[in-house]
Amino acid sequence: MSDKTAIEKLEGLGKKMVKEIEKEEGPTFETTLRTKSNTIYDEGVGCLRMGDKKELRKFLSVAQARTFMQTVAVAAKTKKFIKEDLHASIRSLFYQLKFSLGEDIDEDMFSEQQESNALIEDLEVALGIKREDLHLTTERKGVVAGPIIIKDKFGGEESTIDGTAMGRSGWGIPSDVDNDIDFKTTAKYVLVCEKDAMWQRLNEDKFWKKENCLLITPKGQSSRGTRRLLRKLADKKLPIYCFMDCDAWGWYIYWTIKTGSMNLAYLGMDFAVPEAKFIGVTMDDIEEFKFLQKLTIRAKDVDLKRAEEMLGYPWINRHKEWVRNLKLVASTKKKIEQDALQGERLTFVGEYIKQKIEGKEWLP
Amino acid sequence: MVDGKDLFSHFREHSVAEFFKKNKQMLGFSGKVRSLTTIVHEAVSNSLDACEEAGIVPEIKVEVKELGEYHYSVKIEDNGSGIPKSHLGKALGQMLAGTKFHRYVQQRGQQGIGIAAVSMYALLTTAQHPHAISYYKDKKISCEISMDFKTNKAELLNLIEEDNKEGKHGLTYEAEFKDVEYKKSDQGIFEYLRRTALANPHAQITLTEPNNETIVFPRAIQENPPRPKEILPHPLGVGAHDLLDLARAQKENRKISAFLQNALARLSANKVSELREIVKDVDFDKNPADLTWEEAEKIVQGFKQVKWIAPETDSIVPIGKEQIEKSFMNIFNPEVLAVTERSPKVYQGGVPFAIEAAIAFGGGIATAGKKGEIMRFANRVPLLFDAGGCALTEATKSVDWGRYNLKQFEEEPIVVLINFVSVYVPYTGAGKQAVAQEEDIMDEIKNAVMEAAREVQKYISGKKKAHEIETKRKVISRYIEQLASDVTDLAAAKNKNEIKKKLEKIIEEKYSQGGEGEEEKEDIPEHEEERVKEDDESEEE
Repeated sequence: MSDKTAIEKLEGLGKKMVKEIEKEEGPTFETTLRTKSNTIYDEGVGCLRMGDKKELRKFLSVAQARTFMQTVAVAAKTKKFIKEDLHASIRSLFYQLKFSLGEDIDEDMFSEQQESNALIEDLEVALGIKREDLHLTTERKGVVAGPIIIKDKFGGEESTIDGTAMGRSGWGIPSDVDNDIDFKTTAKYVLVCEKDAMWQRLNEDKFWKKENCLLITPKGQSSRGTRRLLRKLADKKLPIYCFMDCDAWGWYIYWTIKTGSMNLAYLGMDFAVPEAKFIGVTMDDIEEFKFLQKLTIRAKDVDLKRAEEMLGYPWINRHKEWVRNLKLVASTKKKIEQDALQGERLTFVGEYIKQKIEGKEWLP
Repeated sequence: MVDGKDLFSHFREHSVAEFFKKNKQMLGFSGKVRSLTTIVHEAVSNSLDACEEAGIVPEIKVEVKELGEYHYSVKIEDNGSGIPKSHLGKALGQMLAGTKFHRYVQQRGQQGIGIAAVSMYALLTTAQHPHAISYYKDKKISCEISMDFKTNKAELLNLIEEDNKEGKHGLTYEAEFKDVEYKKSDQGIFEYLRRTALANPHAQITLTEPNNETIVFPRAIQENPPRPKEILPHPLGVGAHDLLDLARAQKENRKISAFLQNALARLSANKVSELREIVKDVDFDKNPADLTWEEAEKIVQGFKQVKWIAPETDSIVPIGKEQIEKSFMNIFNPEVLAVTERSPKVYQGGVPFAIEAAIAFGGGIATAGKKGEIMRFANRVPLLFDAGGCALTEATKSVDWGRYNLKQFEEEPIVVLINFVSVYVPYTGAGKQAVAQEEDIMDEIKNAVMEAAREVQKYISGKKKAHEIETKRKVISRYIEQLASDVTDLAAAKNKNEIKKKLEKIIEEKYSQGGEGEEEKEDIPEHEEERVKEDDESEEE
């Protein structure tokens, strides 16, 4: 979204409120209700999104007055960021807005960052805009290496980044891959590898060079930037293969990439990659690769709880393969980490992945 | 003005001083603070009755001086008709000689032992004779009172009789006491007189405390209440003890049958015949003077088996709704006041009584530091002691105060006044400080208190609502300045001050009395509990 559009949306919100005030009505804004009951799995496109239920935020309601005032303050502040062409982390936004409301008022605009975080989500939903468009940055977490050329216009300069020349560290995926960033790639597919340690193994093995693929690690749960990048790569028709731990947590990371999370369901298709495939590690692998049988570890209570939750999600339990794997976790109380594949030979991992992709041995 | 002479023709003599000397705690002389309150109570009750009987609006002055440790002098001065010389000794120094004992009328004291017992207490503790000055008609009589405890005879010492040059009327009684103590506690004289003033708005009462400070409880109403009609006791309202006293006090009737017909209401010759059938072993033809305790008890039991016509109810004179209102405003000036006005009821199947209840809340009640206080009265006399077993306390406490927005009854700035009005108050003991918990009485008190509580609740809930609206207005108002500024920026507008003023006006209109501020129901869909939170998605650090 262009800065101009973002500013128009923000000003539109302000103008609507001014109009209400001039008519001597309390200012309001409408937003989509962000609750579990208003979260829908859209079977057609294969992602989570918000339902149609709306809620009206009102300044004149005692329960909402403070958050209303704060939301408008966040909106006004981000408008300023865009105008000045500066980017701010949501932590710095919190500090920009952490001031006293007045000499005679013993109250700060914000007292904890948690407060401002929720309001940013409100604003995204109400305006149909992403926080990245509001010049708000989030933590960079993912790393990519492989045949990709990135053009990054930043701080008034443009630089070109070659994904094949990043040595041992890879390119850190920024929080915003939409604005002022362009890229092209010659890769055949994308491999998403849950853990950074495994990514480093494959990078050292020159896996992306041998396979002509992009090697990405979200380092656990994917950041917004990583998920946006995956979406854009999928848009370029690149298959997305995910390689995670064989436990409920690793699988959940996969499902967040695939369908989006309930927390950010309002972002819908922009942040979901329904095309993604899960190549492993699965419970079946323990049968297939005998050496893994000695390398399982005990599933923790959190793993079992997460597995149970996932069995309750309709977008997961519609796949019988997943139901079977999740139930195996629950019954065997075992899990296996992707690192275990290095148990016999460090370089076995690459062979494992190739076998899976070539044999189309994946879960939906 | 009623002729005093007529009044004092009722005096009769009893030789019971010795008995009471041994049982002084029965008369309220137990504990130093209580003893002093009893002294003032007996004197002030007498003064009020005397003034009212004489048709004079009472003006009573009480002065307490500290003479040493637990040693005080007390002076009580009234503006009644005074007492003639011939009756002074009986009135102030002879037990059970009072005007009240033999008359069945709603009065403050009921047994007539009052002020003589006070004189006795003075003599017992200090050996000093009480001193009296009586301005009666054209005479001023000064004297000291001496008592013979064995014969129950009073004697006047150092008597000086002068012309009433000042033209005053009234009695001044002064005596020294030991083993008493002045304290400004809930059971002390100050509280006693304040409550007396509350229940007697026609009286002006002045207290001079030992520290020489003078407090005036000013008169709120300029005329005396109507005199209660004198009636004979109803058979269902007397006990064996009463019957015995009545029998001994009279000389007119030679037979019990005649005595009963003349001494009690609704008791005809036919009823005596019925009683003869029921109480066969009592000789109704013998002299009432020879009536024994056992016989009296049997007769009283017999009364309960006869069907009686209810007593007249016009013997009851309450303080009155308007009077209580004026009185409360005068003495406490509460923020809210509810007073009931209820018709008389009967207890024990025939004794008429009425309950007056008043609830005062906030304002001067809070200033006076009163919290959840129950002020008990019997025929306008404050009951300060033995609250525990008293019907007035128990019935009030049994009210579910939560229903009236007063859940923390004992912490709220609230005073509940209950006046029990009857010609016969069923006290639980000779101390006359607690009313018996008869079921009919308990029910009526509870109903009266609840009636007053409903009225107070209306006010309190209205006030709470107003307070809530005001709080909401304040909460929202503190964000106006910031919101006006940010909305102006956001909309790229320029008229920040105008937006601010409009916002102020909108809020002022919504959150004002009669505004729609109270409807806040749509606020609830905040969906806090339902809001999705997935803590393990650390996407936003």
